[in-house]
Amino acid sequence: MSIFTQNRSVRIFIGILVLFTLGVTVMSEAYGTGAISVSFTKVLGMTLCLCLAALAMDLVWGYCGILSLGHFAFFGLGGYGIGMWLMTARTEAVVRANLAGGVIPPTEAEVSQATALQIFSVVGAEDWPWMWAASDSLFLSLVLIVAVPGLLALVFGWLAFRSRVTGVYLSILTQAMTLALSLYLFQNDTGLRGNNGLSGLQNIPGADAIGQDRISIWFFWASAVALGLAYVAAAWLISSKFGNIIRGIRDDEQRVRFLGYRVESYKLFVFTLTGILCGVAGALYYPQAGIINPDEIAPIASIYLAVWVAIGGRGRLYGAVIGAAVVSLLSTYFTGGRAPDIALGAFRIEWVDWWPVLLGLGFVLVTLFAPKGLGGLVDYIVRKDRA
Amino acid sequence: MHLLRRIAISLAISVFLMPSARAQEASLQDILQTHIEEIADPSRRTVGETLDALVATGHPDLPEFLTRWQSREAWQRDADGLFVYVEDEDADPLVLLDISTGETVGEAGSREVTQLRPNGGVRRVIGGALVQFQLGAEDPAARLDALEAIGDDPDESHLPLIEARLEVEEDAAIHARLDVLLPTLLIAFAEDDADRVAAIQTLDGNVSLDARSTLNRVLTTSRFVDAELPADINIAAILTPGTGALPRDEAYAMLVSAELAPARISREDQRAVLAANIVEGRVGGVPVATLNTEAARDRAYAALVAEGLTEPIPTEQDVNAALNAHVFFDAYSEPSAIVTEAARATLDNIETRVGAYRFFDLSLDGISLASIYFLAAIGLAITFGVMGVINMAHGEFIMIGAYTGYVVQTLIADYTLSIAVALPLAFLVTFALGVLMERSVIRWLYHRPLETLLATFGISIALQQIVRQIFGTQARPFTPPDWLAGSVTINDVISISSIRIAIFLLGVIFFIALWLILNRTRLGLEVRAVTQNPAMAASMGINPDRINMLTFGLGSGIAGIAGVAIGLFAQVVPDMGSNYIVQSFMTVVVGGVGNVFGTLVGASMIGGLQKSIEWFNPTNTLAAQTYMILFVILFIQFRPRGIIALRGRAAGD
Repeated sequence: MSIFTQNRSVRIFIGILVLFTLGVTVMSEAYGTGAISVSFTKVLGMTLCLCLAALAMDLVWGYCGILSLGHFAFFGLGGYGIGMWLMTARTEAVVRANLAGGVIPPTEAEVSQATALQIFSVVGAEDWPWMWAASDSLFLSLVLIVAVPGLLALVFGWLAFRSRVTGVYLSILTQAMTLALSLYLFQNDTGLRGNNGLSGLQNIPGADAIGQDRISIWFFWASAVALGLAYVAAAWLISSKFGNIIRGIRDDEQRVRFLGYRVESYKLFVFTLTGILCGVAGALYYPQAGIINPDEIAPIASIYLAVWVAIGGRGRLYGAVIGAAVVSLLSTYFTGGRAPDIALGAFRIEWVDWWPVLLGLGFVLVTLFAPKGLGGLVDYIVRKDRA
Repeated sequence: MHLLRRIAISLAISVFLMPSARAQEASLQDILQTHIEEIADPSRRTVGETLDALVATGHPDLPEFLTRWQSREAWQRDADGLFVYVEDEDADPLVLLDISTGETVGEAGSREVTQLRPNGGVRRVIGGALVQFQLGAEDPAARLDALEAIGDDPDESHLPLIEARLEVEEDAAIHARLDVLLPTLLIAFAEDDADRVAAIQTLDGNVSLDARSTLNRVLTTSRFVDAELPADINIAAILTPGTGALPRDEAYAMLVSAELAPARISREDQRAVLAANIVEGRVGGVPVATLNTEAARDRAYAALVAEGLTEPIPTEQDVNAALNAHVFFDAYSEPSAIVTEAARATLDNIETRVGAYRFFDLSLDGISLASIYFLAAIGLAITFGVMGVINMAHGEFIMIGAYTGYVVQTLIADYTLSIAVALPLAFLVTFALGVLMERSVIRWLYHRPLETLLATFGISIALQQIVRQIFGTQARPFTPPDWLAGSVTINDVISISSIRIAIFLLGVIFFIALWLILNRTRLGLEVRAVTQNPAMAASMGINPDRINMLTFGLGSGIAGIAGVAIGLFAQVVPDMGSNYIVQSFMTVVVGGVGNVFGTLVGASMIGGLQKSIEWFNPTNTLAAQTYMILFVILFIQFRPRGIIALRGRAAGD
């Protein structure tokens, strides 16, 4: 692929990603020295998924100029899509094992009924809601992971772009969309277990014999592959003529429209594509997180996504990845209670408490003084090299 | 009953005429001792006169004694005839307590005291006297309690008491209760149907819950099934199985439980029957291992039926035949058709009226929700609407306003005064914060609106966390003064809390004040000039920096005042601001950016809409919010500039 020969940053990024993956594998509990615990492997895998979502956010915001504050909704939908299958398959296996002890073998209807009861009794229901219709088929669930976020993005984007809702208004509208979705999911009677969410997603059906140590590294690999593929595809997309057009839309939408391009179609394509990317990222993320609930897609999550991209440096693909990785890993580190507290005489700085303050002020400083974000550092280094 | 009535009437008269001061001179024990024989061993025939005399004294300790006497918790010391209560009936020796003071007067073995054990008839007479005594109590709350007790357990003997009380009662609330209680008792105990119908008709137009429950009690129905319609009962409705009122399965289940038809067997029961008939790994010749389909189970069951081991399952034809052969109906437990018809007509009238009141109440709710949205969004209407700054920390200004109210309340004990201090103080605090924020951050980002969003979001999470550090995560009490804590109740359907009225008024004041500031003052003129064209405004001698600073401060300060108001009814917690931020932005966008009037319209629409959606499903406010947001999203498609869209140059762009 010519993208590798032409674009140095893609080569470097893929190289680093491969090295990182190999490094983690070598240090993992399942295939290596065990220096990295299972839970930390999961954190790293989840971080890669967040990087993937940030990559999508960078495409839609950094390259196309659409500041969507709702992309985490698509991420959550992907998670719910895979979660329904995981939960159904897993619960059904447990139910079958229980019913097998009976005098008379169970019928399929009985198994299905008992499974539904097991899953939905927590919200006081016992029947399968319509949206679980595809949950007994992995293939259909995988289709839905792509189709549902894609369709939502398509319909929403079509409505919004058609009536030329732009800029700040679009941001608020997308925020309203993710708020509506999370409020909808919060209701107990809408079929996705309300605020209980879906849980036990780390148990992969049919893989009971395989330990979490190996499953965690497999998901890590899958996340790394997904990120790598998406990165290459995104780099190819933005280096094409299409990339020039969406950058044009970002910089001056009217001018591109007057040049004869159908701006709405381009924006809709980017919006939908990135929605799907987020859905895939979510589907990889939540089996590692183990649980998903409506809180995950509260408006604030999508704002964080935008903030990662801003901190990493929007308008460059590696910037989004750096931003997501750095901020989310630092947050995990400081809020995980592992960072040493700083004693200042009578006053004691506890990182768990002060990290959000620093993070918030950090956003302000980056926006004010480093509009290019951390990616700007790369420019600085590269320029030094050449000099 | 004649005896009871006589007692009741004489009591009614005596209680009202009795001067209470005189009665308290003698202790209750002394009074009781004068009737020692009758109290120790009362008979239904004579106890009336004794009670008459006791009630006539109007002694304040009497209700307690009557209650205990009635429930067999009063005792008498054999040695001197002293009436006492005991601390613990099962203790030995018993600890004796004085009937007035409750102090210990001694101890006694169980043989040295006698428990007063009035028989059932006597206890009812005591109960009547007690009710009578309570109805005459000076405290209105005690009188109302007595009425509630009668309402819970009405008795014919209460009728004359209520009638007598109705004539002298002056308290409006108690009078209203009596107005319902009298017909309730008449409906229950009058002998003539015409009297009962008349009693029902006096309830016409009365929307109180008590009146409605009285009528509903008259209209209580039970469901029956029979071979044919009985002649002598008051039928409410004849039901057809398979319609909404009576699903087919339910109808058949009624037949089964009345033993008029054989039971249909459920899949679970079928499974149990099969499990009970396993012979050498087979059921009816079908191997157990293959019984994992419904068809196989049906075959095995049929085989069992053929062998006579179990009952056959009725076929669909059997079920239909059984259903057709019987009649299903609802019958009133009230036998008189005239009475039930009158009650139905009256209740229908009332329900129509209740519906109208409900609608009115809902409109009030909608207005009050709209004023909350308006109050939350009004500051944003200035910073976002007029200046175009996306301030994600707006919710935190509301939160800081609420915390200001809390802090002031910890310093000033008087709630009214503390709110009077908190309102301007909250304005000052958030005004200062707003100015600081504008000077240090926002003014560098006027040409990059989307980045303002990120920077202010950073400020928002930092502010939230700082407040969390200072005040902790748990909700802080910020209590409204008494005159704001209650609610204005017009009837059982319409009521609105005072605090919501206050918020509505505050919203109106804000609206007028802001409109005047923006449209009728020099500052407003300069603000509008700077927002439309900063360069031109500057060349006309306006200092855009100063104006931007003041405008942003004004918007933030208003958010602070709104925070005080919101804190009075919502929980004061560090993340309370995030509950309002998205709604506030939507309010401003829906209403139309750039003018305060638009925000008012937007808030009214969003609040009204949310309440109307709740009308269809009142228990689920989450659903109402969801659909409201969906509506807003769709609405923006058709009016991207909001309801009140600025046109021409004012729209900026």
